[in-house]
Amino acid sequence: MTPFMKINKILCLLLSVLIVYPGQAWAFQSHAAPEGIYVHQLAHIFFMAALCYLFWDIRRSSFPDRGWRFLQMFCVFMVLWNIVTFTGHLVGGFIDKGTFVTESGYFSTKIAGPINMTKMIYYFAKLDHIFSVPALFCLYLCLRSLYKASCKEEKA
Amino acid sequence: MNGLPMYPAYFTDMAGSLLIIVFSFLSLRYAYLLTKKQPDNFLWGFLFYFCATLAVFAISRAMGHLVKQVLFINGNNEQWRIVAPFSGGFNTLLMTSLAAVTIYYHKGIEGYRAIETKARSLKTANKKLKRTATQLYEMNLHLEEMVEDRTRELSASEKKFRNFFINSKDMVYFCDAEDRLVKINASGLKMLGYPISDPPPLTLHDIFHNEDDLDKYFEEIIANHFIKDLEVEFAMADGTIINILLSATAVYNDIGKFIGCEAIAKDLTRVKTMMSQLASSEKMASVGQMAAGVAHEINTPLGVILGYSQLLMDDFPPKTEEGQSLKVIERQTKTCRKIVADLLKFSRQVESAKEDISLNEVMTDVLAVSEHTLGMDHIRVHQDLAKDLKPIVGDAGKLRQVFINFINNAHHAMEEQGGGELFVSTRNLHDSMKVVATIQDTGHGIPDKVRSSIFDPFFTTKTVGKGTGLGLSVSYGIVHEHGGIIEVESPVVDKESGEIRPGTAFHVILPAAMDEPHVVKE
Repeated sequence: MTPFMKINKILCLLLSVLIVYPGQAWAFQSHAAPEGIYVHQLAHIFFMAALCYLFWDIRRSSFPDRGWRFLQMFCVFMVLWNIVTFTGHLVGGFIDKGTFVTESGYFSTKIAGPINMTKMIYYFAKLDHIFSVPALFCLYLCLRSLYKASCKEEKA
Repeated sequence: MNGLPMYPAYFTDMAGSLLIIVFSFLSLRYAYLLTKKQPDNFLWGFLFYFCATLAVFAISRAMGHLVKQVLFINGNNEQWRIVAPFSGGFNTLLMTSLAAVTIYYHKGIEGYRAIETKARSLKTANKKLKRTATQLYEMNLHLEEMVEDRTRELSASEKKFRNFFINSKDMVYFCDAEDRLVKINASGLKMLGYPISDPPPLTLHDIFHNEDDLDKYFEEIIANHFIKDLEVEFAMADGTIINILLSATAVYNDIGKFIGCEAIAKDLTRVKTMMSQLASSEKMASVGQMAAGVAHEINTPLGVILGYSQLLMDDFPPKTEEGQSLKVIERQTKTCRKIVADLLKFSRQVESAKEDISLNEVMTDVLAVSEHTLGMDHIRVHQDLAKDLKPIVGDAGKLRQVFINFINNAHHAMEEQGGGELFVSTRNLHDSMKVVATIQDTGHGIPDKVRSSIFDPFFTTKTVGKGTGLGLSVSYGIVHEHGGIIEVESPVVDKESGEIRPGTAFHVILPAAMDEPHVVKE
């Protein structure tokens, strides 16, 4: 008897046992509520890692154009944005609904005192566009610069 | 602190969302333009996909935020609770995609770097090649210019020497080591009498008349590598000999081997003839002076002898012995006086009256006198007198004497062989204002050894008593007095056929008269 035939025999035996004695079925897994935020946070980490890698690789490649430096700046801003948003999501879990007080309309919403570190971080994280807008502006400058350099090279 | 107002965060959120959409699409536009410009560039491709994903992410996120703010402002918080998971889900998905695109960059960039490295090395090589090509082109251009300059100079030089070769009035020839004439100019062929258009193959042996000259030519060429002013005789195509002054240089190849020679030959025949004529005329002039002196000296005693003998003849009757002796003295004295008169004519010491006369008339008169006598000795006379012959200025009587002398000589030359033919002709020389009268016989001709002495006084080949040897001398003197010359041809070359005939031809060349008739007394 060959080893392959032996393995086949064992597998067939195990299958027969599972069919005869079913117990708890191991079908699809049900996903609980916090899974979404975990996936989102993991996506942030994944995106941040990718941006770090891109930053490092551009630095390693020593591309001569100024546009690549703007792309590096984009990476830096986006990494900061990821950190801020990641922190924001993280801190958000510790903020109760009662923390926000609305007196007369949406724009009157406040974070109720006393203001602690968690609340301060959350408030700051809500201003994440401070990093994302400059990042996108740097990306715009990067591509514009690369395009102009390309045109210049073509003319030369 | 009582609380932190959230409205700055809301405003930042809305404004930031809008700006993010704007910047992401501006970036996408430039990325698109880059890929359009260089579709093969991996980096532009990556940036385009990156920007595209980012733009979608920006829309997803920014729109989500804006919708949220709008719903919250309107108090529709419940609706946002329904939309929020979708917006968050999309954001997560697109952020993961963005990260995936960025990671994908890792694989592509390696390939791109390899291509880029190769492209860069190719570009460098191409630049070097271009630089080298430019240098080569410049060198080539310079070389072309140099070649053109040299060719132009060479062409000018070649043209100069070709012109010299073609236009030279002297013979220029090149011969190889086997004595073959490999190149000879038109003047050379003309000098030798060969056709210019299609000359036969010639060697030095064909053109050198004397083998001794050729041996001397080679001896000097080998010994000195050149020849300067060597006088030789060349044989023309028809056998005529011409005198040549030859200069030649030996030609050697790179290893010093003799491969031939180049030479310039000058025709000296005319010069030699002129020198001979000059020598002859000087001799004749001195002989004439001497003859004139002798004639004057003898003429007076002869006159005295004649006078006294005639006086004595009055004293003695003719029938007596004394009378007979005096008669002989008178006759011989008269003969002597005639000789003296002839000598004076030769030396041009006799007066002559010159006027416009026709040489044809002179010839006709002479033939009228001589034709009968010539016929008696079986000599046929052929006349060829030009009808349009120009008149000359001269003494008809003296010229008659000249032609009678020539005809008499011809008569004597032909009567020994029992007859012959006498050709008498006159013609105009078209290239000059001269007329020619020719007396040609078919006699034995003039031997080369006496040719130079025929005009000397008292020189004769006739037997004693048949001539005094003054005929040609007197003729020479008369023709000279008329400003003419006598050319002697013996044997005679026929002008039309080129055939050489035995006999002698005397050509009397006299200047034609000007238009106005005149009489001159000398």
